[in-house]
Amino acid sequence: MKKVTTCFLAILFCIGMLAVAGCGADKPAASDAASASGSAAVPADIKAIKDRGVLKVGIKVDVPKFGFKDPNTGETSGMEIDLAKQLAQEILGDASKVEFESVTAKTRGPLLDNGEVDYVIATFTITDERKKSYNFTEPYFKDGVALMVKKASGIQGLADLNGKKIGVAQSATSKKALESAMKEKNMKADILEFGTYPEIKTALDSGRIDCFSVDGAILAGYLDDSTVILPERYDPQLYGIASKKGNDGLAKFANDTIAKLQSSGEMDKIIEKWGLK
Amino acid sequence: MPGPFAAFKWEALLSDWNVFAEGFGMTIAVSVLALLLALVLGIAFGMMGTEKSRLFRLVNRCYVELIQNTPLVIQIFFLYNGLPYIGIQLPIFWVGMLGIGVYHGAYAAEVVRAGILSVPKGQFEAAMAQGFSYRDTMRHIILPQAKRLAYPPLTNLAVNLIKNTSVMAMIAGGDLMYHADSWASANLYYGPAYVVTGLLYIAICFPLATYAKHLESKLEVSV
Repeated sequence: MKKVTTCFLAILFCIGMLAVAGCGADKPAASDAASASGSAAVPADIKAIKDRGVLKVGIKVDVPKFGFKDPNTGETSGMEIDLAKQLAQEILGDASKVEFESVTAKTRGPLLDNGEVDYVIATFTITDERKKSYNFTEPYFKDGVALMVKKASGIQGLADLNGKKIGVAQSATSKKALESAMKEKNMKADILEFGTYPEIKTALDSGRIDCFSVDGAILAGYLDDSTVILPERYDPQLYGIASKKGNDGLAKFANDTIAKLQSSGEMDKIIEKWGLK
Repeated sequence: MPGPFAAFKWEALLSDWNVFAEGFGMTIAVSVLALLLALVLGIAFGMMGTEKSRLFRLVNRCYVELIQNTPLVIQIFFLYNGLPYIGIQLPIFWVGMLGIGVYHGAYAAEVVRAGILSVPKGQFEAAMAQGFSYRDTMRHIILPQAKRLAYPPLTNLAVNLIKNTSVMAMIAGGDLMYHADSWASANLYYGPAYVVTGLLYIAICFPLATYAKHLESKLEVSV
C-alpha cells in the first residue's frame, strides 16, 4: 500500500513540474510585451535583434526552390532564404547577418516558442487554428495541393485514387484539403502521414503509397522520370512568415516588409527567379 | 499570449481524445503480439545458443549480432520500403509486429541463454543420469530454473519494447506516437499532445517496470 502511495505521489509530482514549466513559459513573454509597449520608437523585440546583431530564421532544407540545402555544395538557397535575407537587410542593414536554423514541420512551432528563432519562413501554411498560437504575416506565396503519381500506375486524377493510399506530410494542411475534396467526390482513400518529404517519396517508389500529395511547388522538387504531377489542384495554401505571439513588433515588421516587397514588384522578381510561377 | 500549454490547447485535446485512444489501442495491440513473438524467438534462439552443436550456436550468433548491431529504425524501414521491391508488401501492422518482435527477440535470446548457462552443469548431468531425454531435461529441470533468473530482465525488455513501438510513427504506423505527431503537427498544440502521450506510455510501462523490480527483489531473497 505504501508503495502504491509513493508511486502516485511521484506521478503527481511529475505533472506538477509540467504545470510549473507551462506557467514559466508564459511569464517572460508577458514581460516582453509589457516592455515593448513601454518603449515608443523601437519595439523591444526588434531592439533585441539589433543588439544581438543577427537575425535568426527557421527555414526548410528539404524543399527545392523554397529552402534547400545542396548536398554537394552545402549551400542553402531558395526563395524563402532570399526573403530572410531581405528581412535582415531591413532590420540590420546587412543581408548576410542572418543565421539559419533548419526546421521541420514538427520543430518549427517549438523553436518559435522557446525563442531559438525569431521568424519561421518554411512553407508555413496559414490557418485559423495556427493563428491562435503564432502571428502570421499576409501571405507571400499561394499554392494548391497537388498529386504526384507513378506514370506506370495510369492514375489520371483524384477520382482514380478511390480505395488507394495517399502519402502526405505531417503538419501539412494537405490532409484536410484532400479529405474535403474526396467528400465532394463521394470517395475514400487512406491518407498516411510521414515526417519528411523524402520519406513520402521513398514510400511512393517502393509502392507503399499510390500518390504523394503536398503543395504543388514543393512536389515539383521531387519530380523524376518515373513520376508525373497531375494537373488538379486543391485548396489554395497560403504561406506566411510566422513569429511568436507577444513579439508583435516582429510581426508588424515582417508584414510591412512583405507589403513593401509586393508593392515594389520585388516579390514577383524573387518568385520568378526561382521559377515558381 | 498563449504558451505551449495554453488552456484552449488542452480543451482541443480533450475533444479529440478518440484520436489518442485509437493510437493507444494500436500501440497495445502491437506491443502484446510483438512481445509474444520476442519471447518465442528468445527461447528458441536462446536454447540454440547453449547447444553443443556448432551450427546451432552459429545460427544464434548470426541472429543476435545482426539484429543487435543495426538500429531498429533501419530494420523497420527495410521491412516497410525494402521488401516491396522483392514483391512482399506486408501490412503495416505486421511490419510493426515483426520488426519490433524480431528486434527484441535478439535481446530476449541473450537473456534466455544467460539464464540457461547460469543453471549449474550438475543439474543437467543429474537429469541425464535419471534417464530424462534432452527435451524433458530442458522442460522440467533447466528452463524452470533459468526462468527465475531471466524474468526480471525480460520484464525490463517488455518495457523497452513498448517504448520502441513508437518507431512505427516513422512509417505512418497508426500507433500512439503517430497519432500524437499527426494531431500535434496539424494544429501545433504540441504541448498537451506530447505530455498526454508521455503519460499514456508511463501508464503501461511504469507498472511493468515496478513489477520487474518486485521480481528482482524476490529473486535476491531466494538465491
